[in-house]
Amino acid sequence: MAKTLFEWDYSDYPGAKTYPHLFKPIQIGNLIIPNRIKYAATEDNLNGHDGFVTDAGVEYMRQRAIGVVGGLCFMQGVYMDEKRQGQGYVGQAAAWDDKFIPGLKRIADAIHEQKAVAGYQLMDCGRVGAVETDYCHGPSAVPQRLRIFKPVQEMTKDDIKVMIQQHIDAARRGIEAGFDIVEISGIVGYLISNFVSSYTNRRTDEYGGDIRGRMQATVEIIQGVKEVCGPDIPVGIRLCSEELLDDVRGNTPEESMETYKIAEEAGADYISCTLGWQESIYPVISRDIPMGNWIHLAKRAKEHVNIPIQMAYRLFKPGLPNEKIGAGELDIWEMCRSMIADPHMPKKVAEGREAEIRHCVACNLCLARLFRDAPMTCYINPVCAHEWQEEFANPKPAEEEKEVMIVGAGPAGLECAYTAARRGHDVHVYDKRDVIGGTLNEAKSAPYGDDELWTCVEYQQAMCEQAGVTFHLGTEVTDDLIEDEMPDTVVLATGPVYAKIEAPGGDSEKIVNLLDVMSGKAEVGETIVIYGNRKPGIGCALHLAKQGKKVTIVGKEKSAGFDVNPSFKWRYMIYMRQNGITVYNDCDIEEVTDEGIIAKTYDGVRWPIKCDTLVISDRGPNESLKKAVQSEGIELFVIGDALIPRNLSSAVHDGYRVGIRL
Amino acid sequence: MPVDAEKEINKMWRTLHSTQNEIGKTYYRWRQVAIEFAGEDTKPLDVALRAAEVFGKDIGKSFLPRMNWLKGEEGFLMILARSLAGLWNTEGGLASVEKGENPGELFIKCSRDPWPTWAKEYGAPMEEIALCRERMYQAILEDVSLFMNVSLKIELQKAISRGEGETIMKLSKTE
Repeated sequence: MAKTLFEWDYSDYPGAKTYPHLFKPIQIGNLIIPNRIKYAATEDNLNGHDGFVTDAGVEYMRQRAIGVVGGLCFMQGVYMDEKRQGQGYVGQAAAWDDKFIPGLKRIADAIHEQKAVAGYQLMDCGRVGAVETDYCHGPSAVPQRLRIFKPVQEMTKDDIKVMIQQHIDAARRGIEAGFDIVEISGIVGYLISNFVSSYTNRRTDEYGGDIRGRMQATVEIIQGVKEVCGPDIPVGIRLCSEELLDDVRGNTPEESMETYKIAEEAGADYISCTLGWQESIYPVISRDIPMGNWIHLAKRAKEHVNIPIQMAYRLFKPGLPNEKIGAGELDIWEMCRSMIADPHMPKKVAEGREAEIRHCVACNLCLARLFRDAPMTCYINPVCAHEWQEEFANPKPAEEEKEVMIVGAGPAGLECAYTAARRGHDVHVYDKRDVIGGTLNEAKSAPYGDDELWTCVEYQQAMCEQAGVTFHLGTEVTDDLIEDEMPDTVVLATGPVYAKIEAPGGDSEKIVNLLDVMSGKAEVGETIVIYGNRKPGIGCALHLAKQGKKVTIVGKEKSAGFDVNPSFKWRYMIYMRQNGITVYNDCDIEEVTDEGIIAKTYDGVRWPIKCDTLVISDRGPNESLKKAVQSEGIELFVIGDALIPRNLSSAVHDGYRVGIRL
Repeated sequence: MPVDAEKEINKMWRTLHSTQNEIGKTYYRWRQVAIEFAGEDTKPLDVALRAAEVFGKDIGKSFLPRMNWLKGEEGFLMILARSLAGLWNTEGGLASVEKGENPGELFIKCSRDPWPTWAKEYGAPMEEIALCRERMYQAILEDVSLFMNVSLKIELQKAISRGEGETIMKLSKTE
């Protein structure tokens, strides 16, 4: 008899009418899930380095539980061995002993308080584990492709038996902690996937060989965990539908589908369809991959098994999953990064508040942080991982209402504006442009998905409207205007100042500004040099290269795109190569000549580069208006690129941090 | 000021050669220290071979991200052989790759090698150079073989230790 844990009626939710398939129940094992929404287990590095759950971790999960409006909410995968070989993240939760149960219970309770279904995941990180030890473990000692991972020790048969038992014991602890559903992680290079893949499993015993042999450990884990869970607690598994490891002779797609069938035979109640490994040479989830690019894999999975199929992977908006669920090609819409960016995202969908969603921009900063032992953070959501800090997550109303003048309607100014207005301040945003968005108006024109960055401005606009922010667009703020208005506080979010070429020829007519190029205002030649090797320069270079221009980047940073997080930077490096862009790092411009420029390395080597147009993308802080504000004795804040030119994330985070302090 | 191309290239070239020269000499300076620490009972050749093994093991790891089967077996072996030759060239050698008569067999030929000059300066025996090169390449191939699940072999075919003529190494896949 199937069981319903919490009753949910979505008939009054407008989103349930727009996306009816997302808000209909589904049975998994003997459990009825009220809707088709799942926050998928995601590492957050918020737990103690000893594996105990922290307040930060609990509050992080509580917000996601609110977001799933009665659906599935999974805590991060727990590691299960005392030796910590399976631990892949410094702040990963542990479950290798009963002493961890009270902490785990706090998470299960926090999810239940929101009437959501509490999911618990078992995750031995295998060859990407051992974050605190010298060796990780795996079916075979296949060397690591990436140096950041530890050497692999081949597991003996006894080790495998112990590992299987660890899964079973950890599952029992999860059930005792109160979780409703158990999931086994077999993705992206973690231990289960190491056993399953022909790339990493070279064993010749019963745990290796053909695909059935390579699935044997997984089968024993599923069966053991099923036994301890009993009939009322469903057991699912996350498995690769395509490893994308053909360069190292990993599993074929056919073999991957065979793993799905074997998992179903072993008793899995659902499969979460994933793809790619951390070692794959193909991108899977970054912004350059179109939305919905992988959804066909869910359909294929459904053609091979009869249990529910769940999937995430570039499904940031509700329309497509709703359509695919309706067509019977998907059963549950999973989310990770989209609910890192906005924990209440599906709730807003249900409530018909889609304009209020802060969309993930698929930059992968969250992943980059985790791999570098830093706590979770989000490029676009300043509150992420601070949910437990009340004064940060839910700042109090201002003690004294102030008239706040924000100069600049870019992402920094807008973020600050609505944050301050919500707290009761009278906020006025000025911009000399007729439109909001600042330099993002131009930046969004860069190829490979940068148009998605604009969702940030759309969200901020909606928030500003809701908070009652007053806009003065097409109004340039001058010293006189400040003197006339005499606000209590001025926030300068004016954006950067573009560099001037101080070298001879710096007044050449061939010099144009990046913003004019990106907006199409400036005419450019066929051969172009871009000065500045940070992200804006790269975006502009790709934009021009796509038009067939011959582009060279010359920049002072030691490596191009050093301001781009490493989980995305490799994509730019490949695209620059593919588009024939030449990059000279550690260089400056010594002279602008009639033919082009003379570049000079840090150690004095000089050479000419021909160009018709020289685009300036290098930026500096904006000092304008500071003196005027200070001379009037007005409280002053400088944020975003006006303070130090950085990136969209810094603009948003600056804006929020100042907004809660005013 | 116009660029004098000859002057700029000359400057870069001199820097490159000085750097290569200094790295080669630094190796021999360290070799002396290692032999001294190893004590009289240890043969200098054993010390040098052990160093070659350690170097090779580490260099092998840096090869792994570039290794793949997407260009087939022949393509993979060619990429690997070119990487080995490229390593030699970086040190100041002049090495290239030639296909052998049999499939899965490639020859790395080095017609100019700076190592004998440095060895002579520091009193190291000439035969050590070729043996160390072979040991280093063997150590590189250890991880590559394991990673790609293939058995690879490299053998020294001919060594002209004074840096004249050609040093030839054969890279092949074994069953």
